[in-house]
Amino acid sequence: MKKNNYLRAIFVFPLIIYALFLIALPLLYIFIISFFKSDSYGGMIEELTLMNYIDLFDVVYVKIFLQSFLVAIITTIICVLIAYPFVLAVCHKSKKTQKIFMTIVMLPFLTNSLIRMYGWIVLLRKSGIINEVLLRLNIIESPLSLMYNFGAIIVGMVYTLLPFMLLPLYSSVSTINKSLLEASYDLGASKFKTFKNIILPQTIPGLFNGALMVFTPALGYFFIVDILGGGKIMILGNLIKNQFLTARNWPFGAAISMFLIFITFLLILVYKKLGGKMDDLGGA
Amino acid sequence: MIKKIIVILFMIMLCCGCNNQEERTLNVLNWSSYIPDEIIRDFERKTSIKVNYSTYSSNEELLAKISSVKEGTYDLIFPSDYMIEIMKSKGMIETIDKSRLSNLSNLNYNFLGLSYDSGNDYSIPFLATSVVISVNTDNIKEDIISYSDLLNSKYKNDIVLIDDQRIIIGMALLACGHDMNTTSEEELNDAYLWLKKLKPNIKAYDSDSPKNFLINNEANIAVLWNAEGAIASNTNKSIKNIFPSEGFALSIDNFAIPRGAKNKDELYEFMDYILDAQIMAQIIESYPYKTVNKKSEKYLSSEYMNNNASNISDAIISEGYFVKNIGDKIKLYDKLWAKIK
Amino acid sequence: MKNNKFLDNLIIILVFIFLFAPIVVLILFSFNTSKMNITFEGFTLEWYKKLFTNPTLLDALKNTLIVAFTSTIVSTIIGTISAYGIKKYDFKGKNIINALIYIPVVIPEIVLGISLLCIYTLAKLELGMLTLILSHICFSIPFVIISVRSVLDSLDDNLENAASDLGASPIKIFFKIILPSIMPGILSGAQLAFTLSLDDVVISYFAAGPGSNTLPLYIYSLIKTGITPDVNALISLILLVVFLILTISAFISVRKLRQEALS
Repeated sequence: MKKNNYLRAIFVFPLIIYALFLIALPLLYIFIISFFKSDSYGGMIEELTLMNYIDLFDVVYVKIFLQSFLVAIITTIICVLIAYPFVLAVCHKSKKTQKIFMTIVMLPFLTNSLIRMYGWIVLLRKSGIINEVLLRLNIIESPLSLMYNFGAIIVGMVYTLLPFMLLPLYSSVSTINKSLLEASYDLGASKFKTFKNIILPQTIPGLFNGALMVFTPALGYFFIVDILGGGKIMILGNLIKNQFLTARNWPFGAAISMFLIFITFLLILVYKKLGGKMDDLGGA
Repeated sequence: MIKKIIVILFMIMLCCGCNNQEERTLNVLNWSSYIPDEIIRDFERKTSIKVNYSTYSSNEELLAKISSVKEGTYDLIFPSDYMIEIMKSKGMIETIDKSRLSNLSNLNYNFLGLSYDSGNDYSIPFLATSVVISVNTDNIKEDIISYSDLLNSKYKNDIVLIDDQRIIIGMALLACGHDMNTTSEEELNDAYLWLKKLKPNIKAYDSDSPKNFLINNEANIAVLWNAEGAIASNTNKSIKNIFPSEGFALSIDNFAIPRGAKNKDELYEFMDYILDAQIMAQIIESYPYKTVNKKSEKYLSSEYMNNNASNISDAIISEGYFVKNIGDKIKLYDKLWAKIK
Repeated sequence: MKNNKFLDNLIIILVFIFLFAPIVVLILFSFNTSKMNITFEGFTLEWYKKLFTNPTLLDALKNTLIVAFTSTIVSTIIGTISAYGIKKYDFKGKNIINALIYIPVVIPEIVLGISLLCIYTLAKLELGMLTLILSHICFSIPFVIISVRSVLDSLDDNLENAASDLGASPIKIFFKIILPSIMPGILSGAQLAFTLSLDDVVISYFAAGPGSNTLPLYIYSLIKTGITPDVNALISLILLVVFLILTISAFISVRKLRQEALS
């Protein structure tokens, strides 16, 4: 029994240290300073206040929340619209082909995400490749403004976050029993009906898992908004970054962060209610 | 097998990391695009001091980093005028021992003893920057002489601005005839209304390199730092730089020593090296801001000396305004900034 | 079952084009003689040469690899041990810790980056390689735990019980029985940790100090100050390395499958 205790310590101790010092402590710190006041030079006054949370409901900031939710929701929807047909199409192939295709799809994901944004700049800008090709083909007469707008932000977000939707969706679609589908077709059900009654219900957890992994980062990826969007709109990520790095208002930045964590947990709660398993998160 | 390779690779890298320990080092935190790589390599070769060079893109970013890191992390920083005032009052920077700088006499006296540090006890000017309007005259036929001209609806989606809240809100304040450093909510609201009118014309905000928009023909007008404007007009002769009639923001960036800097000898050596007239001329040629180093002028090219955006005349400099510290009223600016975006 | 093959292939091809268009463009322009990334003017290898004489870039590359290797090794070890520990043992606060480890997976990187920065400041840690590695370990461990645990769960408990009945010590059981059978999970966790570390900008931005610039941070500053083809060359090289690693790992797994089929 004693020996068992000693072993238990080996297997559990590193985890506890890690969870305490690298997760719980930072979170606690953010939580505490979110109740502090800020002084005029970027310092903090250790007086408790709820002001930072009340400020969250200012019209200006509510507008930014709505803006970021809009970006995140559209990104999520487009990811679903791309990932679903793709995954269904891939699943019609043989097992071996499926494996190869899913590996190829993951290839861009293995390179630097900034590098990929830079690739989009070369494609999208006024003198970029898409405009050049369209001009040469005489499809357009003058270059289109493809960058520095809402659309470019969405392209960047979808491009960066698509794998997080593809992986869980693929693993849930690929486990659907093929004979079930065949039976459905044999009984004369249309494609749409089969999708609605069989495929969709069985892939809801995978779908929500993907949606969560796309939605929450989309609220925070400020560099995509800055690079492809020309910094013209702000999302939650920019707002938090600004509080820490330009407005010298750390407590308010902490309060927005807590708000963001709160939203994430709310979404996870919904996910669990829908019958999702925590372990499926992360696309691993 | 794979494990072995990983272990070996890891060892090699650890060894690479260990080698540096005995070296003299210097930790510099500077604006991005301020000192060319070659100058730093040259200094490293001459003195065998290893320079760890990191960058930031705003004074507030610098403040956040310096106040959040352990004392002694950085040896030399480059805050602007108003930030010198803030850091001085918070005790974040040390006095500079001017006797250790042999090249101090190279400096232009106009830029010494200014209000933010009248005795230059905490700061030595490095270079001066101003805001200019750059216009591609091939595509913009009208004369642009003021900020108000930018409101013309012809320039829809054609203007690029520096991503800096004090500068852009300051521009709007000047355009409305107010003080650039106002803390009056009423005047700030005027600025908000002005920027709202400008909004349809704004193509993008970019804090680091708005000049590329002009050079790549992505936009025809930009409000940017003078060096950026100078580079743009040197690349494309039809790009002209204008100092707006309502006035413009002016700023002086300075050498400063954060409290607790560890590598004193190295940092003075580096400062004195940068203050050398020829070295300064090289830096200024790469990033054509206004030099505050009088002696460097004779080493500068005619391209630099004849460009109105790089070699700003004294008469024009006197029309500029400094960005000042406004204490916690900065929150008003921040909120306004969020409102605009 | 009737499938529209043409439609299937069309969808797959379109998604591939979307995913690979920016990457193909980058590789193409790394061979361009023109300094501006606008039109293709001629073939050159000059940018690749230039790449290897850029000390700032090589320094950043070195830092990135040190951080990636160290954080991957440490987080894989801790993650594997922890996944086993969570499954095997009960301890106080297990539920809380179980919830806490998902926080780095789901919360936005920027919040994690800033809160870690605050902790380093409180702990008076100097920003540098150590803090960078700590941050990377922090966000990698949960991915390893999740990945290992999914394999652990499918493991047959009888195997462990049988070994235990035959008198094998728990340590021996872990190393001789558990570890080999969960290897695929460990490797995929490690791969995930490694790629996440290579890619990270946001968290590194707050954890980096003097002399610990990483490649993603360097690229971030380059994208803003102006894009030259040597960046493209770097990107192509990184892609080449990634591609080689993937091909080799595919080759190894194919060989393994064959061996398994033979035995």
